[in-house]
Amino acid sequence: MKVAWKEIVKFKTRYLILGTIIFLISLLTMTISGLANGLSYDNASLIKDLPEGTFYMQEKSEDQYNLSHLDEKKMNKIREAAPEATFLSIQMGELENGNKNHSVVFVSTTNSSLFPKVEEGEVILNNSIMAEGVNQGDDLTNSLLDNKLTVEDFVDQQKFSHSSIAFINSTDFQKMYRTDTFQIAFVEGDDTPKFDGLTQYSNKDFLNTIPSYNAEQLSLNMIVIFLLVISGMLFGIFFYMINVQKLGTYGILKAVGMKTSALFKMMWIQMIIITFISLILSIGISQLLTLFMPEGMPFLLTIESASIMSLLFLGIGFIGATLSGFQISKVEPIQAINQGGV
Amino acid sequence: METLSINKLVKTFKDGNKEETILKGIDLELSQGEITALIGASGSGKSTLLTVVAGLQKSTKGKIIFEDRELTEMNPTQLRAVRAKRFGFVFQHAHLVQFLTVQEQLQLMVDTAELNWSKKKREEEIKSVLQAVDMWSHKDSYPDNLSGGEKQRVAIARAIIHQPSMLFADEPTASLDSKRSIEVIELLRSLSKERNHTVLMVTHDTDMLKYADRTVIMKDGVISES
Repeated sequence: MKVAWKEIVKFKTRYLILGTIIFLISLLTMTISGLANGLSYDNASLIKDLPEGTFYMQEKSEDQYNLSHLDEKKMNKIREAAPEATFLSIQMGELENGNKNHSVVFVSTTNSSLFPKVEEGEVILNNSIMAEGVNQGDDLTNSLLDNKLTVEDFVDQQKFSHSSIAFINSTDFQKMYRTDTFQIAFVEGDDTPKFDGLTQYSNKDFLNTIPSYNAEQLSLNMIVIFLLVISGMLFGIFFYMINVQKLGTYGILKAVGMKTSALFKMMWIQMIIITFISLILSIGISQLLTLFMPEGMPFLLTIESASIMSLLFLGIGFIGATLSGFQISKVEPIQAINQGGV
Repeated sequence: METLSINKLVKTFKDGNKEETILKGIDLELSQGEITALIGASGSGKSTLLTVVAGLQKSTKGKIIFEDRELTEMNPTQLRAVRAKRFGFVFQHAHLVQFLTVQEQLQLMVDTAELNWSKKKREEEIKSVLQAVDMWSHKDSYPDNLSGGEKQRVAIARAIIHQPSMLFADEPTASLDSKRSIEVIELLRSLSKERNHTVLMVTHDTDMLKYADRTVIMKDGVISES
């Protein structure tokens, strides 16, 4: 450890260059990962905040929640097998406040601890609507509904398909969309029952039924994967170049009896030190960046995702450095002795 | 008492279909505490003999017995352990590790030899050896800040810090001027006598022979005079 650190200190410029490159790439990766997570949350926090469980939709709806209809008979069947089941409907729409229109996603549910309880004629809105001039107690209208909806309360970060959610009572929802059914059933837990004519979805599978969710996430995740691969290659190239310069030293150290594994260990320690410092800085700075990001830009970098990214960086750095280090095992002491040296 | 015995040692190099035998059946015995100088014209095989005996190259035929163990039968891991624990090396160039101070060069060798010395013992031994080579005042210097003679003194200190039984010196004074060469060879001799090291030294400089107890002359892959 001491020898590895000594080398970094002695040749600080060369390791500073590698550290800076790794820091910049990891900062970019963390930032893009934060944006991907933020977008994902912005797209589907309604679903993402739910505990793990199973969603049910009508089989013939072909993965489109707005085409699914669970009639009373089906709902009773589900209730019999899973009394704690929650039924919900989701529909895009808009609310008017004076002359101003607000695009929202109406969500109506049966009584459940997972969603806020709303009385008929009331609406509970995602708090971002407050910035559009809507306040508690305001009366909002909708062209499909004769009665007004009074803003009862606001909730934090409840979005679906990048739109704010408006929780309304099922009676109001059924009046607006002329339906007497719910679209989706949700049962919490791992051991959930199966039903004929209904398709089951895990939380993750259900997210993919949201239009654009999959394409959006795939694009961003591909960028993250590319950046990880590039950082691995950078580690490989950098340590290859450093190892080429040090082949003479390695040869002499092997001649005097140093184990090849000790030389690899030295290289791995250097890789871990550089990656660790770069990651600490990039995580810290990516968090600081959120203070300067424009309001409304979705960014979410949790400790969990930052830790996973950091482990991936360390893993890829390890592979890159190890591949480049195969030269060490090939070094013949005799060649080093025959060359000049310090 | 013999430290190392070489019997009918052959080393052949192959290059495609071409074969060249550099060592042609060498027999040699080295006694404990004796300094043996190996001299010969360029291409006589003296450096090859040193590197084969030191376990840095494999022999083609023959036996090398060191402290009752047959080196020629050992695998690379066993040979590495012998080099780390029982051998010391001084090369033509000092070959010091650029990023370590003089003191750290010796610490690294102690670690390489896997000596379970206490911190106090380690510090005492390093101080004692650096004082012996008159480099204690340079203990915190890096190789870049040392002269050629000083580097070679540190290389000698590194070669003896782990108290090896044998020292291999391959042209240890070849890169130094005559004044520094005499200082280094005198130091090598006094230390090996003091510590009872067996020394096998390759040299082309006949002025160095007076510092050896015995001279072995090599010619065309065989010992012509001993």
